Amino acid sequence: MGEDSLFIRPIFELGPVQLTNTVITTWVVMAIIGCFAWLVTRRLQMRPGRLQTLVEAMVSVIEESIRDIAPQHVQQIMPFIGTLWVFIVIANLIGIIPGMHSPTRDLSATAAIAFLVFLSVHWYGIRIQGLKNYLLHYLKPSPLLLPFNLISEVTRTIALAVRLFGNMMSLEMVALLILIVAGFLVPVPILMLHIVEALVQAYIFGMLALIYVAGGLQSQQLRQQKQGENHA
Amino acid sequence: MELNWSTFLLEIFNFLVLVWILKRFLYQPVLDVISRRRAAIENQLAEAEQHHVDADALKEQYEHRLADWEQERQKAMDKLLHEIEENRLQQLENLKTELAQEEEKNRVASSRRDKQVIREIEQRALQQGAEFASRLLAEAAGPELENRLFDLLLDGLSVMSADQISVLANKWGESPERILVTSAYPLADDKRHRLEDTLSRVIGLTVPVHYEQDAELLAGLNITIGAWVLQLNVRDELQGFMECAHVEH
Repeated sequence: MGEDSLFIRPIFELGPVQLTNTVITTWVVMAIIGCFAWLVTRRLQMRPGRLQTLVEAMVSVIEESIRDIAPQHVQQIMPFIGTLWVFIVIANLIGIIPGMHSPTRDLSATAAIAFLVFLSVHWYGIRIQGLKNYLLHYLKPSPLLLPFNLISEVTRTIALAVRLFGNMMSLEMVALLILIVAGFLVPVPILMLHIVEALVQAYIFGMLALIYVAGGLQSQQLRQQKQGENHA
Repeated sequence: MELNWSTFLLEIFNFLVLVWILKRFLYQPVLDVISRRRAAIENQLAEAEQHHVDADALKEQYEHRLADWEQERQKAMDKLLHEIEENRLQQLENLKTELAQEEEKNRVASSRRDKQVIREIEQRALQQGAEFASRLLAEAAGPELENRLFDLLLDGLSVMSADQISVLANKWGESPERILVTSAYPLADDKRHRLEDTLSRVIGLTVPVHYEQDAELLAGLNITIGAWVLQLNVRDELQGFMECAHVEH
């Protein structure tokens, strides 16, 4: 681990496309997650073993978390939100392996994920409520809040990207500085903090994304509740 | 810290691919198996609930059946007790009837025994009377009594009608060979002549008369003509008296 590792440099270029170590690490993470998912789920049993129980518990926790926030749209948003949690956890933790770097220490990667969250909020909102109803929710509770709502959409997306990027990059930077100053094995406590921080940041990112998506669906739920009350 | 657009776009693509991979190979299979297990558990719970309901129904049915059995048992017991009571009363009635019949039978038997005893007593009295009369007559019997009986015999033969003689003739037959005269005491010659004259005159027979003596006659005569026997003596009269007493009882 040297000073160069703090900077994202292209490994090779394919025309206008630059393949950085972030992309390569992301592919590794995808391969690990994909192989694990395939291996675990190819022989699922009605009487689960330990590993299947662990996976089922993980999926159930994700499902229940989403159900607590958006109980009517679990099936639609679970793949996206669940993948956010799983990917960011693995991507954050892979940085503690010597020679590997977390993709989430790259602003391009976190910005890409945050941009997907931004798009998903509108995608799910328009898909479930329709374009008109979805756009109308920017005018509520007052049309005067439209600029603030629009600014909020942008700033919270930037905040998502920068928060994850800043935390993960700072952890690696601190570990690198301590390694340079103090020597080998001294940054181990910082690596322990890295694990905790990786889990916390993944949870925060995924939960915020879930809240943003659920917030886009909230106006639909409120309207359905009002209609139900009127019918009653 | 600059934004690399290639990385940005590739990360978007990578993440979307990862979403598809996890949806295809993780979420869907795991949720399916959880759903199947939940459905199986719910089925088992439903079956258990159904079994519970069936068991309750069977329990209620068995309780009803037990109650029915108890009622039937009680009815059978009541019927049995009723039949036993009827049978007891019937047997008691039969016993009373048999007892009455037995009493009647005993009464009749007792009456019969009493009559028999009375008859035996009377017979014994008659016998004793006859014995007493026999002893008395045996003591009192003698030639005088025989003479008197001889006179009575001649008088009786003298007053017999023709019809009576005809009846007697039928009994002794066409021509008896002889006439046997038995007496307790020896008959004198004059008495023999008077007797033979009376017999030849009244009966019309001229057959020889044979005389014998039998002290057991006590007193009197016994005349035998063929199959006909004329008895006029104390022994036969006493015997006839006793036989008459038997016939009367």
